[in-house]
Amino acid sequence: MNFQSLINSLQYIKPEIVIAVVIVLVVTTDLIMGKNKSLLPWISIAGLIVASFFVIEQFSFKAVSSNANGSIGMITADPFGAFFKIIVIVSSIIIVFFSLSSNEIKEAFERHGEYYTLIFGMILGMFFMISSADLILIYLSIELLSLSSYILAGFTKHSLRNSEASLKYIIYGGASSGIMLFGISIIYGLTGTTNLYLLNSFFHLPQFGGFIFWLACILIFAGIGFKISAAPFHFWTPDVYEGAPITITAYLSIASKAAGFALLIRFIKVTFIDSVDASGYWQLLNLIDWKSFLILISILTMTLGNFAALWQSNMKRLLAYSSIAHAGYLLLGLAVLSDQGLIAILIYFAIYAFMNLGAFFVVMIIANKIGSEEIDDYKGLGYSMPFLSFSIAVFLISLTGIPPTAGFIAKLYLFIALVDAKMIAVAVIALLNTVVSLYYYIKVLKNMYLVRPEKEMPAVLVSPAAFAMLIVLLVPIFLFGIYFTPLVNLAKSSIGLMGF
Amino acid sequence: MLTEFGKIFIFMLTAILFTVVAIFVARLIRPARPTHEKLLTYECGEDTIGSPWVKFNIRFYVVALIFLIFDVEVVLLIPWALVYQQFGVGGFLVGFIFLFLLGLGMAYEWRKGDLEWIRPELKHSVLKKTKTEKQILKEETVA
Amino acid sequence: MYLTVLLPLLGFIINGAFGSKISAIGGSASDRRNEKVIGIIGSGVIGLSFLITIIAFFQTLALPVEERKTIINLFTWLKVSSLDVGFAYQVDQLSLIMALIVTGVGFIIHVYSIGYMHGDKGFWRFFAYMNLFIFAMMNLILADNFVLLFLGWEGVGLCSYLLIGFWYDKKFEKSTTSDAAKKAFVVNRIGDFGFLLGMFLIYLTFNSLNFNEVFTRASAFGVPETTFAFIAIFLFIGATGKSAQIPLFVWLPDAMAGPTPVSALIHAATMVTAGVYMVARCSIIFASAPAILTVVAVIGTLTALFAATIGIVQNDIKKVLAYSTISQLGYMFLAMGVGAFSAGIFHVMTHAFFKALLFLGAGSVIHSMHHEQDIQHYGGLRKHMPKTAGTFLIAALAISGIPPLSGFFSKDEILWYSFANGGFLFWLIGALTAFITAFYMFRLYFLTFEGKERFGHEKPASTRSNRGEHPHESPNVMVIPLIILAVLSAIGGFIGIPEIFSGEHGNIFHGWLEPVFKNAERKLAIYGLHTHFQEILLMTISVAGAAGSIFFARYIYLRKPSIASGTAKKFKSIYNLLWNKYFVDELYDATVINPIVKTSDSFLWRIADNKIIDGLVNGIASLIESASVVIRKMQTGVAQFYAVIMMVGIAAALFWIVLSL
Repeated sequence: MNFQSLINSLQYIKPEIVIAVVIVLVVTTDLIMGKNKSLLPWISIAGLIVASFFVIEQFSFKAVSSNANGSIGMITADPFGAFFKIIVIVSSIIIVFFSLSSNEIKEAFERHGEYYTLIFGMILGMFFMISSADLILIYLSIELLSLSSYILAGFTKHSLRNSEASLKYIIYGGASSGIMLFGISIIYGLTGTTNLYLLNSFFHLPQFGGFIFWLACILIFAGIGFKISAAPFHFWTPDVYEGAPITITAYLSIASKAAGFALLIRFIKVTFIDSVDASGYWQLLNLIDWKSFLILISILTMTLGNFAALWQSNMKRLLAYSSIAHAGYLLLGLAVLSDQGLIAILIYFAIYAFMNLGAFFVVMIIANKIGSEEIDDYKGLGYSMPFLSFSIAVFLISLTGIPPTAGFIAKLYLFIALVDAKMIAVAVIALLNTVVSLYYYIKVLKNMYLVRPEKEMPAVLVSPAAFAMLIVLLVPIFLFGIYFTPLVNLAKSSIGLMGF
Repeated sequence: MLTEFGKIFIFMLTAILFTVVAIFVARLIRPARPTHEKLLTYECGEDTIGSPWVKFNIRFYVVALIFLIFDVEVVLLIPWALVYQQFGVGGFLVGFIFLFLLGLGMAYEWRKGDLEWIRPELKHSVLKKTKTEKQILKEETVA
Repeated sequence: MYLTVLLPLLGFIINGAFGSKISAIGGSASDRRNEKVIGIIGSGVIGLSFLITIIAFFQTLALPVEERKTIINLFTWLKVSSLDVGFAYQVDQLSLIMALIVTGVGFIIHVYSIGYMHGDKGFWRFFAYMNLFIFAMMNLILADNFVLLFLGWEGVGLCSYLLIGFWYDKKFEKSTTSDAAKKAFVVNRIGDFGFLLGMFLIYLTFNSLNFNEVFTRASAFGVPETTFAFIAIFLFIGATGKSAQIPLFVWLPDAMAGPTPVSALIHAATMVTAGVYMVARCSIIFASAPAILTVVAVIGTLTALFAATIGIVQNDIKKVLAYSTISQLGYMFLAMGVGAFSAGIFHVMTHAFFKALLFLGAGSVIHSMHHEQDIQHYGGLRKHMPKTAGTFLIAALAISGIPPLSGFFSKDEILWYSFANGGFLFWLIGALTAFITAFYMFRLYFLTFEGKERFGHEKPASTRSNRGEHPHESPNVMVIPLIILAVLSAIGGFIGIPEIFSGEHGNIFHGWLEPVFKNAERKLAIYGLHTHFQEILLMTISVAGAAGSIFFARYIYLRKPSIASGTAKKFKSIYNLLWNKYFVDELYDATVINPIVKTSDSFLWRIADNKIIDGLVNGIASLIESASVVIRKMQTGVAQFYAVIMMVGIAAALFWIVLSL
């Protein structure tokens, strides 16, 4: 590997470079402008838009290696990664707008520079997570993401909950990343390489297999499972989601999870694949029974998430559990181990991003107005805040997966993939879980529309900016609920991982 | 059928079990006559003075962190310094970017007052707060 | 062309979303100007659709016959394995004819409604629903696959439900309009169920739901006739529901609870003919199952006769028209059943003209009589509202089949085909029905417009006092649509002049539709021998019979009213039978509804629902509840405990592996 090829390979990480430059820009602006912080969000959005141009370019990349020399490097650039990066970028842009109207963040005005820097730190970490093809880079990117999000989780410093969330997050994150590193070291010790593609060719050799592989892979899975909050590594989620500023909670529930899923999919598909058959099913190497393992984990995850959500009285906590449950559904899409399942995951994520962000956004606006996130305080909101209540009703219905919202399409494709793979029993369990989830989502609606408020509440108007934001989030919910073909086509064209 | 590792796992279980059983049995049959000296925390034969749970000033960590960063920087820069002539301007730029980023971080820290032993803004916290509120108001009107 | 579908949707959105706001402008909801805005939007979009349809019609006309079928693919809606459902519209001869009828008659009725619904507090709601109806109907007609057709099918059902129950706070007969709406909805569900089954069967058999593919595969050989028979019978069950045929016709008379323009548009001119359209569209499937085709013919004939006899004795002006509609729909199915598909569609068209006219005329009368609907309380209205009476007379003559009005051509064609293809019995019953139709239509006409004035006397003074004014002619916005429809009813038949009159040109209407039905007609190939002499003879018989019936009705109801009451007394049992509509509603109550209600009350509700299902649901709920409590308890908030769980999780996974290795 010579210097020139190193420089050449920089073209594959253009989006990442843009993000890094934005970090520097934000820090410098913060230093120069001093007290005037109003420029920062706009720099962030501009940077994200520029990055998105380079990401869109990556949709056309077919099997390209990051290294011109023919050997496979640490980074991949492929349509699959581009799809997830777009999800990260879109949710980041939305989060920046959220932050503009969030009271919590406004109060910590002096540290806005750090806020945006850390968000971009997260984005950089996520980008590398999405496109890394090397265990070392996987670990580093997870750490970059985690460290930024630990600080952001405790960003406002005002409340005890906030610091508690941050501390719990860091302890739990530290433990899981340690476990993951242990797994990586075992793999490295056995094969002498950390590159996923090389590992794949090693694993084709007959001498590999057995318990130690399971151990290593499960340890690595624990690290990733922490990021996507899969049971039993999900315990941090409710506490952190509840304590963290709501913008960060929303961000963690979408972008961080998307990056984690991208990483998990790439790790499993690239490392353990034997061949992909004509109908798109992945024949994995006979080392590890990923299928049963993933099914087990996903059913556990969605059941725990849904059941625990039933009795939550805090809206943020309820959404935290619901996001755990959704991670379960998404894992199920991976457990199918087929291209169809992968398409289902991509569709699900694109839709999930909008509906979950929307739900968090409305919760935030309502918290801004009435100063509470308790479901009991939502009583009668349907009358005092008709538009907000309508929006959250739509988002929650979509999260449940009822037509004609986009959430239904997401679940539909997931179940089609399951049924196609003859996993009927699993599909039934998932369906029953959906029924359970209906209960706690509808409970919120019931409180808003059917229960009279204890005290008379004045009618509240939504600010034009928030209104526009909600429209932006509501439109895809209905649009993709009825006219979803473009989304499906995009997902279909985005399943190309590097090397396949 | 158990593999070799399976056997090891069972061996581990046995070892743990053995230890637990041994301690438990010892607890059952040993005499228990505690005295003051016996219950003291053993500190190299010395009496302990004060609680061991004192709070260290958080600044220690900040300084230690900065020291660590620049320590690692030296470790990384030495090999770079040895070879960068071969790569010409490009090689120089790579090192420069690295140093620039570190310097930027340093400058940020300095500007924010994190290098002072006592952060200056704490003194004027009341003054600061009013200003902040004004700024928020201003931002709201802008938005 | 797709604009014709989207424009009504646009109208619905505008009127539905902003209608309440528009009518709120200026304070009072019945402000004339606001109504005008809504009315102009509502009928304007339909008018535009109509214009576009006309343009599309002439464009298609200019094309050579083979190219007269275009498919407009808006977007693919759902694509899962071999199921490919698109929002695709098929513009061909059949759908164009139907689209012209729906938008044209629809437009006229919309305009009429501006006058009829004036002052109603739900004015904007009415127009929103009507636009939605046209949107759904256009989807139904223009669909190029069964799914989209079904979407429209359900859509029109929904609109029908909404509009029947439009005056939801009004009493209707013994119950309320919402009960009538519910009845229509439930009866239609039964039909829809059949239609759905048919659709599933089609998908199973042909592996597609696209019209072109299904019909191409259906005309090829290789599918057993029994399969076709099952598909056809299921589809026909669907059609009987929507088009009010035996045994599912009971909802249509009750549907008259809706505003009269609704009855004209939905329950006479357009929606109820959807079943006919669907059978015509699937003609190849029906033609492949001749046995079912015979069933269709028999059901159609029976319905025609059955409903016509009921029509003789009814006194509610709209009820008479409702039974007449059922009877005419029976004719259309008779046409389908004997393989005269284009004759059936021709009758759909002429029927749309004259039946819409009859309903609108009835609406005009009802409007001026302050919502009095009993014809025994009318009489001599011609003096007060000459235009309505004149147009009504034209329509009545048309439906009776008096040449050269439109009804003559279409009805006679059906009768002729039923004689040539079906057999003497079909013709006989059909002709008999035609005589009865002429009789009761003119009974209606004479009782309403001629003779003595019978209103204003029997009524108690309290209801009359505030409406003391005389009946009056309706405003122009209502009369002009009547005149347009009257012209159409009068001359609309000329495009379908039978071969024997028009000579070498042949039947223009047939020629136009011929490409659509040629496969089915070729498959049937049962055209019996016939001569022009027979055709003329039959024609003469039916015209003479109809004319005789008219004079008979005139004799009885104008000259000697005593005969009517005398006959009714003499044949009291028959009269009662007819008056009570053959007790079909009671029959259904006794055989279907009551047993269901009883079982549901005694068993389903008290035991199955309360004990078993509720118990099960509550049991599961409490189970989930307790499970959820346990899971919630695990969330202690102690970080160390979480870490322990994580470790335990990993250890459990490893243990599982050790066991499985």
